[in-house]
Amino acid sequence: MSTPTAVAARGLVKTYAADGVPVRAVDGIDLVVEVGETVSVMGPSGCGKSTLLHLLGGLERPDAGEIVLDGRRVDGLSETAWAVLRRRTLGFVFQAFNLVDELTAVENVELPALLVGAPSRRARRRAFELMERLGVADRAGHLPGRLSGGERQRVAVARALINGPRLILADEPTGNLDSRATAEILRLFADLGRSGQSLLVVSHDARVASTADRLLTMRDGAIVGHTRLDAGSPGALLAEMAGLPDLGGPGPRGGEH
Amino acid sequence: MGSVRLAAHLAWRNIRRRPAQAALILLTLTMATGMFSVGIALYGSADGPWDRVWKATDGFHVSASYYRQGDLARTGTDLTEVRHKFAELAAAPGVRAVGGPWLQLVQGRLDVAHGGYEDLTAEVRGPGRSLVDQPLVTEGSWLAPASEGIVLEQGLAGALHAHPGDRVRIDGQRFTVRGVAMTVSQGRFPLTVPAKVWVTPATANLMRRAGLTAGGIEMQLRLDDPDDAAAFAAAHGDIESSTPTVFLETWRERRAASHSDIDILAGTLLAAGIVVGLLAVATAAVIVAGRMAAQTRQIGTLKAVGVTPWQIVLALLTEHLALAGLATVIGLGAGRLIAPRLAGTSLTVLGDPETPALSGGQVAVVAGVAVVVVVLSTVRPALRGMRHTTLRALATQARPPRRPARLAQLAASAHLPLAGVLGLRSAWRRPSRLLTNAAGLALAVAMIVVAAGLRSSLSRLAAQPTGPGEALSGAAIGTLYQQVRVIVLATAALLLVLGAVNAFIVASFAARDGARAHAMLRAVGATARQTVVSLVVSQSGACLLAVAVGIPLGLGLWQLIDGGDLPPVAVPGSALALVAVAVPLVFAAAVSLPAWRLAHRPVATALAYE
Amino acid sequence: MKDPILALLAKAPAHGYEVRQRLVDALGPPGQALNPGQVYVALGRLERAGLVLVQQVGQQRHPDKKVYELTAAGSERVAEWLADVSWAKVMPTEFHLKLVTAAVTGLADPVALVDAQRHELLRQLREVQALADPADGPGGLLLEGAALRLAADVRWLELCEQYWLERGGQPDRAGRASRPDRNDER
Repeated sequence: MSTPTAVAARGLVKTYAADGVPVRAVDGIDLVVEVGETVSVMGPSGCGKSTLLHLLGGLERPDAGEIVLDGRRVDGLSETAWAVLRRRTLGFVFQAFNLVDELTAVENVELPALLVGAPSRRARRRAFELMERLGVADRAGHLPGRLSGGERQRVAVARALINGPRLILADEPTGNLDSRATAEILRLFADLGRSGQSLLVVSHDARVASTADRLLTMRDGAIVGHTRLDAGSPGALLAEMAGLPDLGGPGPRGGEH
Repeated sequence: MGSVRLAAHLAWRNIRRRPAQAALILLTLTMATGMFSVGIALYGSADGPWDRVWKATDGFHVSASYYRQGDLARTGTDLTEVRHKFAELAAAPGVRAVGGPWLQLVQGRLDVAHGGYEDLTAEVRGPGRSLVDQPLVTEGSWLAPASEGIVLEQGLAGALHAHPGDRVRIDGQRFTVRGVAMTVSQGRFPLTVPAKVWVTPATANLMRRAGLTAGGIEMQLRLDDPDDAAAFAAAHGDIESSTPTVFLETWRERRAASHSDIDILAGTLLAAGIVVGLLAVATAAVIVAGRMAAQTRQIGTLKAVGVTPWQIVLALLTEHLALAGLATVIGLGAGRLIAPRLAGTSLTVLGDPETPALSGGQVAVVAGVAVVVVVLSTVRPALRGMRHTTLRALATQARPPRRPARLAQLAASAHLPLAGVLGLRSAWRRPSRLLTNAAGLALAVAMIVVAAGLRSSLSRLAAQPTGPGEALSGAAIGTLYQQVRVIVLATAALLLVLGAVNAFIVASFAARDGARAHAMLRAVGATARQTVVSLVVSQSGACLLAVAVGIPLGLGLWQLIDGGDLPPVAVPGSALALVAVAVPLVFAAAVSLPAWRLAHRPVATALAYE
Repeated sequence: MKDPILALLAKAPAHGYEVRQRLVDALGPPGQALNPGQVYVALGRLERAGLVLVQQVGQQRHPDKKVYELTAAGSERVAEWLADVSWAKVMPTEFHLKLVTAAVTGLADPVALVDAQRHELLRQLREVQALADPADGPGGLLLEGAALRLAADVRWLELCEQYWLERGGQPDRAGRASRPDRNDER
């Protein structure tokens, strides 16, 4: 146990039957997320990255392999035990928000806190703090139907954070958002990452994936690529972006530089 | 595609994709149309035979009768008065033909096979054919002056299994059965007592010596115009209020009163048909609402493509109207098939029952029932479903957010489990869904109450001990009551089953409705059990409301159904108490089952629902 | 850069430092990378090309104090430039040819080239997004544009990778032959 890990998985396999033909959605994956690290998993549609996330969060059971979450072996847990574990240890952010329609925003946020048994007043207060931090406190009393996409996702993130989870699992968190809301959420994730939160983000959107410290590429159920995105010299980048080398001719035109 | 073609296309596809729902709607609709159809067909099936006998016997338009205790012969003055009144009547303007007046010998005792006796009246007929009410001989022959044979009324002969040539004992004396005949002047034995025979004057003397006494006089009149009968009876109404009292009856009154057992049966079926019709509305409404919720995405796509909400409703209506049409045809067919069989078990029909021909009116009524059910159950839920977007926004104002919700605080202080609190909040926020479910369930409860009433009414049909003089009729009526009991119990059981089915449908849709929200709860860390509890709590509000409304509703319906001259039967309090306790429990179980099954699917699958 | 500088002079003549300042404001964070000297070099070239006039205010020869003004030719050029709808290069021809030649000549594995390029683009994307925070003005918009285009290019690179995998029949890293992509996301 050298460096603490938020989650470590070895040899994960999950098979589905599609039209009678068994298909390996997740095919022998090893994965580690260190504490305080942001890891993103990229890959085309159908490569199994969502399934991988579901497995790590106990939303599905692996056919083989082991998962160690916050130092504890969890792949064999019962449904109820998983539920209890999820309350404290995990936070989920989905593509389609998945807030309860009949509860107001703040009620949605305080829900995991109530589930672990926090007194309602404390849960409510903490929910408010989080919503203020995420900039949605003024929408606290509204039902999800009256919130914009970006607001709903921020409420979902607040809900995911309320019990101080070890790990946040995000599945295409910007999939349903417009450009501006996407930028908001990315900023939010970057802040979380800086403050020490461990994150595993699954996305096919390069903008989302590139915010991670480590980037895994998946294809056909397996991890085929593993990189760190280190910064180069910002100066060169900016200069190139500003189009400064092009001081010769009349200006940028169609054609080669 | 034109609107209609599009509607038909969508309708057919939807039926094929959801055959179970279509079958259920068809089933409840068919039961409603079937009951209506049989009830309507039954009502008319006794009239044909009655009319036939009435024509064949030159039946009366107005009948006059006088009965008293004791021997008429001893009180001469009364007899003169009575005969005088009868003569006046016979001579009144408008009278075309007179039958009688005939002496009625009462208090006869007819020996019955296994001991006991049956009360009997003998009507003394003179020789020759009467101008009015000449009974229609079905076996043997009519009275002959030379013979002392008697003619039995056809119902009596059937009950006795007596045929011409047999001998019967009346007051100890043996008489030969000369013939069997039908009449419309009184109802058929055994629903009309005392039993009737016709005798010659000579036989009458024998009977008087044996013990019968002269107890009444009857006269039958035919008028120029049968439709004048009521006016005639009214004009001579003073006869009925002065003494000695002579009773007048018109042929229409007699006819209407001649088939009481069929009337009861038809009435029960029609009433049950109405109740089942209401149930069909409730069932279909729940199914439609559930469909709207499940198909929101499809509807959204259609709307985006340019299909108007009315076109979508039209598609739904087409689908259900097609089912209604099918239900009408099946219902009418059932009516033609079942009504004669039921009428054949009647004790009052004179001869074979004739199911009246299928009239346009009948078709219209039955079809109308089906169409009304479809329209009521489909249009409004469909339109409302159309207006909802995928994520429903129900609250019109933001609640003050700083303090924890009142309800939650109350619940927390009452130490309710969190799941219960969630359930309460859920229910509170969607009042329309709560009300729809409650309405459907209330009908189911009402139906169970009516079923309880029907069962209690069986006590009215309890076998009464046959008194003296009822040895034969008592047994026959006992048999009739048995049949009616079976039918009543069957109807009660049917209502119970339909009520249960409806409750189960409401429960299923409620569980499915909440499936996604509950998957989300589980993702956040609620256990499967907590989600089931939350669903049960949120639905129990609807259930309790349904019981609170359904019981009075059922009692009211029962009042309506249990009409007539029969003594009213109250639904026993114990049955109501049982309903009030059992229904919520059963419903909670019915909701828990699908909820439990759904709660044990992997969360990921549930979240990814369409 | 020359056309924008010309345009900034269209409304009224301005000092060299004013022109620089306006550029910096318009560019946001990338503007920080703008070397002041480069602006003056550009202005000098424009003057030589006859598009800009220099007014000497006072006797100073310091470039900062010079006032620059558009000539008639300069104004014409600005009008042309504003009306011009040609766009930055749209087709990634060079890289595409790089992959093709690599495959044909066997000098490099196209998939590996794609991988490397993608890594670089993702790196740039990360930096661009890291910058995005404080910018609220037009500069932020510029960065947003960069991010979107980089993301689009990464997407294209994924398509390239898929294509060259199938063409090459190359086993992927885990040693399995490549398979066509599944349509349904699980």
